[in-house]
Amino acid sequence: MRQWVRLAFPKTHLERRKRAGFLFVLPALLFFGSVFIVPLAQSVMYSFYRIQPGGAKEFVGLGRYEKVLTDSTFWSAVGNTVQLLLFSVPATVVLALAVALGLNQIASLKWRNVWASMYFLPFATSLVAAALVWQWIYEPVYGFLNYALSFVGIPPQKWLQSLVEVKPAIAAVSVWVRIGFDTMIFLAALQSIPQEYYEAAGIDGASAVQRLRYITLPMLNAQIIMVCILELIFNFKIFDQVYATTQGGPAGESQTIIMLLYDTAFKFFRFGDASVMAVFVFVTLMVVTLLQWRFFRKPIEY
Amino acid sequence: MRLRWVILLAVACGAITVFFPFFWMAVTSLKTAPEIQRVPLTIAPDNWLNFGNYVEVFKREPFLRYLVNSAIVASVAAVSSVVVSSLAGFGFAKYRFPGRDVFFLAIVGILMVPFQSVVVPLYVWMNEFGLLDTYAGIVLPDLVSVFGVFLMRQSIEMIPNDYIDAARIDGASDLRIFFSVVLPSVKPAIATLLIIKFMWSWNEFFWPMVVTTSQHMRVVTIGVMSFTNMYYIDYNLLTAAAVISILPILVIFVTLQRWVVQAVVMSGLKG
Repeated sequence: MRQWVRLAFPKTHLERRKRAGFLFVLPALLFFGSVFIVPLAQSVMYSFYRIQPGGAKEFVGLGRYEKVLTDSTFWSAVGNTVQLLLFSVPATVVLALAVALGLNQIASLKWRNVWASMYFLPFATSLVAAALVWQWIYEPVYGFLNYALSFVGIPPQKWLQSLVEVKPAIAAVSVWVRIGFDTMIFLAALQSIPQEYYEAAGIDGASAVQRLRYITLPMLNAQIIMVCILELIFNFKIFDQVYATTQGGPAGESQTIIMLLYDTAFKFFRFGDASVMAVFVFVTLMVVTLLQWRFFRKPIEY
Repeated sequence: MRLRWVILLAVACGAITVFFPFFWMAVTSLKTAPEIQRVPLTIAPDNWLNFGNYVEVFKREPFLRYLVNSAIVASVAAVSSVVVSSLAGFGFAKYRFPGRDVFFLAIVGILMVPFQSVVVPLYVWMNEFGLLDTYAGIVLPDLVSVFGVFLMRQSIEMIPNDYIDAARIDGASDLRIFFSVVLPSVKPAIATLLIIKFMWSWNEFFWPMVVTTSQHMRVVTIGVMSFTNMYYIDYNLLTAAAVISILPILVIFVTLQRWVVQAVVMSGLKG
């Protein structure tokens, strides 16, 4: 306590310096406090109260949780989100790793950068624009994808309008957007692997596959896990792509958890129920992140 | 040697596949409505200089206004993010004060809080303060990002303490040191943060949609959405709108890509 008083009313030169340091970080603290910490606490509070139109609050305890967490719509949205994520996360990570390994083999720095930037380009586009362009490619009658597939004898598919194909189709958009980001992280990590390891392996007569298996992949372990977690978080929060294209359809097959949260809050204005979902999303992501911290001390590689 | 060519071929094919949607968006935006409904489809537009769809986009929707709105919001977010983040980065990197490490950990911990978990209370606050459907309302939650604080702290930590001490011995105040020693030494980080934050804000969709209601307050991401509906979509117009919405950011991105890559590599932050 005393040190805080000192911070507010510095006497010595050193104390004044401490105050200066604190004042430098103060705007950021105020911002994050008022935009994240306080609203998060309020979200938790909303999930336990019923707020009357007049503003009167009534404590309902876990009643809301019981209502939302026993609702089949909620669990089907969670299920859809997890299925989407199971399509997109492994695909993104594996493809990005393959692309990074390929790019790393290109000797000319200039050409490597040119090819890399093509993979990176989707990262700069908004998810909305990306998803809508893909919707046009998926279009069943006039779309490019069915046209291209017709050359290999595959009959026209309904893609986003199909109960079965809608999830992989949306997942593909996420993969397209994220692949460049992950590739960049892998590529940077690949370039930091000491060349001597490969030279030593070469002397011992290791094959290309063995070098990949025993040098490259172990050296990339930290990045692979970090990227998996980042993709998990990104894909768990999937919203823009779905909202712009299927709006959760057909027949709710692409309804995701954030879509449901958005509809609950801003279509039906049931803030309490939406807050339960908000807390659910927060707790889920926190568990994922903490597991990451638990297993891999450093949250960020640099 | 043969393997190298196979790898190069695979990388090139992948890159072309990834690039294809951009190409397809561009050519579709140059086609007329009957053209895009041909079966079987034709790849090239009949007239490569048919910009009618672009004219139509600006006619149907106040798209210029959307672009200006996005530019305002993204610029304010980028600049404020640089200001607040570099101040905080300096404080965290070069000062000792009670609670410093706890505060920094708390800020990094905010990465765990998805924006969707705080959106309802934020909406209620905005409503209370009459900020719904205003620029201030759109930009407020976007003013600083954790990534920025993190990036600036990392960069400022690299500055040798001797420089700062020398300035202090010369009698410079803390603020003076910040402006004349710290900021000039971290120009690359500032550039990186400006670009990437501008890009993120430009592409933001969820919050602007929650907070805006009237047409003239929309940003481009929402503007593009106004060319879709459940029943029928003019894809030639939609792709034209999409091109307009991503072109500014794509130009910035391609010319300044070096900085963006650096940021991504440095952090891998922002899930």
